Order: sequence, then C-alpha cells, then structure tokens
Amino acid sequence: MFNGEFLLPRSPPRLLLFFRLSNPLRTQILIFIKSLSAQNKMSAKPGAATPTYSPKVVGRSRLPIFKDSDLDWSRPDGRGFPQCRPALLQTGAVSSASGSAYAEFGNTKVIVSVFGPRESKKAMTYSDVGRLNCNVSYTTFASPTLGQGTDHKEFSSMLHKALEGVIMMETFPKTTVDVFALVLESGGSDLSVVISCASLALADAGIMMYDLITAVSVSCIGKNLMIDPVTEEEGCEDGSFMMTCMPSRYEVTQLTVTGEWTTPNINEAMQLCLDACSKLGEIMRDCLKQAASASDE
Amino acid sequence: MVGLSIGEQHFVKGGIAQDLRTDGRKRLTYRPIYVETGVIPQANGSARVKIGGTDVIASVKAEIGRPSSLQPDKGKVAVFIDCSPTAEPTFGGRGGEELSSELALALQRCLLGGKSGAGAGINLSSLLIKEGKVCWDLYIDGLVISSDGNLLDALGAAIKAALTNTAIPKVNVSAEVADDEQPEIDISDEEYLQFDTSSVPVIVTLTKVGTHYIVDATAEEESQMSSAVSISVNRVGHICGLTKRGGSGLDPSVILDMISVAKHVTETLMSKLDSEISAAEACEDES
Repeated sequence: MFNGEFLLPRSPPRLLLFFRLSNPLRTQILIFIKSLSAQNKMSAKPGAATPTYSPKVVGRSRLPIFKDSDLDWSRPDGRGFPQCRPALLQTGAVSSASGSAYAEFGNTKVIVSVFGPRESKKAMTYSDVGRLNCNVSYTTFASPTLGQGTDHKEFSSMLHKALEGVIMMETFPKTTVDVFALVLESGGSDLSVVISCASLALADAGIMMYDLITAVSVSCIGKNLMIDPVTEEEGCEDGSFMMTCMPSRYEVTQLTVTGEWTTPNINEAMQLCLDACSKLGEIMRDCLKQAASASDE
Repeated sequence: MVGLSIGEQHFVKGGIAQDLRTDGRKRLTYRPIYVETGVIPQANGSARVKIGGTDVIASVKAEIGRPSSLQPDKGKVAVFIDCSPTAEPTFGGRGGEELSSELALALQRCLLGGKSGAGAGINLSSLLIKEGKVCWDLYIDGLVISSDGNLLDALGAAIKAALTNTAIPKVNVSAEVADDEQPEIDISDEEYLQFDTSSVPVIVTLTKVGTHYIVDATAEEESQMSSAVSISVNRVGHICGLTKRGGSGLDPSVILDMISVAKHVTETLMSKLDSEISAAEACEDES
C-alpha cells in the first residue's frame, strides 16, 4: 500500500504522457471523457498530447436570463450536454497526510487530505465503530468575487453523509479519521468534485471502504439537461441533481435534487449520472493502480 | 428515545413487512394531522401542526430589507429550525444543531427551488417592493416541541399552513428619490396582502425498513431504518426537491419507485392538508 512519505518537492501538476513514468512517486492521469450518453462506450485517450482543457475566458457581461425554453443553451466551454469536463486526478499530493488527492475538473480545483486513523481526542465514550470528521473549506481566492460563494457551510455535513455509508467504520474502533477538503478554485459542481476526490484520498490512505464513491451533478436549464455544470450554468439553472454512487455495487448513497423536475427528467438525469459515475470510477481506479505500480518500482 | 430490544426490532420490521405497523396503520397511511393557525399573534403568520406525537410550530415574520446585490429583483427568505430540548434531552445545548441545520437545509431546498427560481414554492419576485432598494425579508422559523418521528413532513406542513396564514402589510413607496438614496416607504396598518400558497409543495418522507417503504415513520420505526428519502411534490405533480438521508446505498430503481409512491401519497396528503388548513383558518376567523 502506498503511504504518504514522499520526499520530492512538489511541482505544479503538469501534463505527462504517463505510461512509463520516470518519477516513481507521482502519478498523473489525463483522460478525456467524451459523449457520456447511455449507449456510448468509454473512449479513454490516455496520454493524449492535447492539453486537457484550454480555459476559455468567459465574457464579463451578465448572461441574460433564458426564460424562453426554446432557446438553446450553448455551454460556455463548448462541451456537449452529456459531456463531462476532462478530469485530472492525482494522489499523494500532500506528503504529511496519511493519504491525499488532488483533482482538477475544468476550473474546479480541489485538494483533499486524510489523516488517520488516529486517536479521538474529543470522544470520551468508548465506541465500537470509528468516527469520521469532515471539513470542507474554501480559500478566499476560490471564487472570482472575493468572499462570495464561500458560504457553503452545509458541504461539510453533506460530505460526511456521503462518506459515512461507504467507509467500514468498524475497522478502526476508538479512533477518528479526519477528512479535510480545500477548494482552491470554484468552477462549478464543487461538491461533486470534493466527494470524488475525498474517496480517492481515503483509498490513498488505506482506509477500508466498501467501494469507491463518485459524485456527479446534472443541471437543468429549460428543457436541457447538462452534466457537470460550470459556475455560469449553476447560476441560472432551473434545477440541480447531484448524485453520489458506488459504481461497482450500482447503489446510490446520496441524492440531492433542487428545483422543479418532472419524472421523465429525473429518470434521464439519473441515467446520465449513473453512467458518468461508473466511468469516473474506472478512471479513479486507474489512477490508484498507477500510483500503486509506480510505488512498486 | 429508549433503545429497542432485539425482539422489539423484529416486531417492528416484521409488522412493516406484513403491512401492519405497531400502531395498526398500513404502510402508506399518515397519522391523524391536526393543524391550528394563528397561534403566534405577533408574527405575520404562524401555524402549529401535530402529526401523532410530533408537534411543531412554524412562524413567518416579514421585515423590510435590502435585496442582495446578486439578485436585486427578488426578496429574501431564510429558514431556521430550532429543535427544542423539550422534545429530546439530547437536543439541549449544541446537540440539536446538526439536526436543525439539516432540516433547515432540506426545507430551504424545497421552498426555494432552483437558482433561477423555477419550482419555487414562494415567488421571490412577489416580495419585491423597489428593485435594488427595498424588499421583504421573510424569516421562517420552525420550532420542534415534541419529536416522534417524521419531523420534516410536519415542518413542511406547518410552514405551508403558516404561509397560508401570513398577511404581509401593503407598502406604498411614498417618494421618488434619486438612485442612490433609500426611498421612503409607507407601511400600511390597515391593508394586508395574503400570501399565495398554491405552489408551496408538501414533503413526503419515505423510510425504507427492510425491503419495504413506509410513510410517516414514528421514532421507533426510524431507529430501524436503513435509509430515508424525502421527496417534495407540488400540486402539479412535479418534484420540487429530493433529499436522501441515511448511509446505506439504494438501488436506483428503488429511488424511482419511491418517487412514484411519493407522488401517489402526495395527492391524498395535499388534499387532506388543504382541508385542514382551511378549517383552521375558518376556526381562527370565528374566534
């Protein structure tokens, strides 16, 4: 199992062709997720020489509110509706933690570190099962306007709820596992990225889990459902659907829906999310396998 | 809440499997709902709802405020829930904080809809007085007095009843002023506007115990649950909010099935609530 004893200084994540890494301690996965409709198979392009994304400078003008549902929404970064952002996942980002992971989904950049299992200082009572403590915080520079969009206090409890069903708490009684997530830049679907990154960090730390969990969110604007929304899309959405699931067990652990949804829309959103979650799960597994084989060398 | 023994746990689970719960109800039957409005004269609107042993009070207060700079054409609504220690000793001090914030979040999600305002139970634009300058701030407070399971449904019903009871004073913008000054407003004492609550959704919590789902779980049934899904459905049959609680995973088909069951249950619940609320309002008018 890999642990966090990395001594090399941390350089900013670069895009590498990764199959044979000379650097045994860092792993970078660069995979495009294309056309995630229910019929398509995954076409992963590992090690593509093209960059993951070219951040487009979105115009500063305010977007008009689209009340006319016939108007087609074109996504600011040019993706199709069922297309997720390319994912960059990396484990071992924080050397002093038991496990850690760094994820970049488009402009959303999140780093999660896991400490534990370690002694519970707060708990006085004996408990057969371990405790989980989660905290999600935003940096002050995470959103374009200073201080705004950082009042997501409920994200910590939502992360806790997402993780508590999947971690085998009985494997670390009397101790606590701390999960700290820091959102470096908020580019949309923050909580989904935090949850996926947290499960990768937990796997990196060696905490026993029933399965990796992946989270994907879908936004509804008018009649269109778009997966993995960015901040502009989230700002004028008619509804949001965030699902956390265990891809291998095909079970949903957390589901949060806001806005107005008809049943066919919910069906479609659920299918999109399940498909995207299973593909993201495979990508996360590849990332962990690479890290394991790299550390074996 | 005293823990259940193994025998009692089997009794609860077995009863649910056979469609006969410990109090004799079927799986999809609600306990008797009792609604009383106007319980807090100081507030703009208030209601008390009792579902079996669960007793909650909701109050709505409206105050003049400034719209936020991100959404200058809308009023603001804030939902706070307080779980009183009279309900459970564990709620005292900071014990009930987690539950309170979870309930408040779920209620806010159901009432306010998506970011663009679609599916909102409360039309925020109707709270506007002058764009960018003056608006109504609605503070919705829920107090849990007695807790016997199914808090979210009771709070949702209480908020719906309180909003029906809410009367917001009419405001006249008295003087036209320059753009950067606050306009003078005249709050009428005589004329009131009733709130339009036809689009406020009801919340139905489906609790999964074993392989079956029940509606309106008591506290002992909730202790045996594997997971619960709270679905908020509005009058038209659209889903206005969904929250899954409980750690264990659910198959996606189960969730879709729960949604259809919730829609079916909502029809009876919505009509029952409407009749109870109008009866309560009529009672209050007479007294």
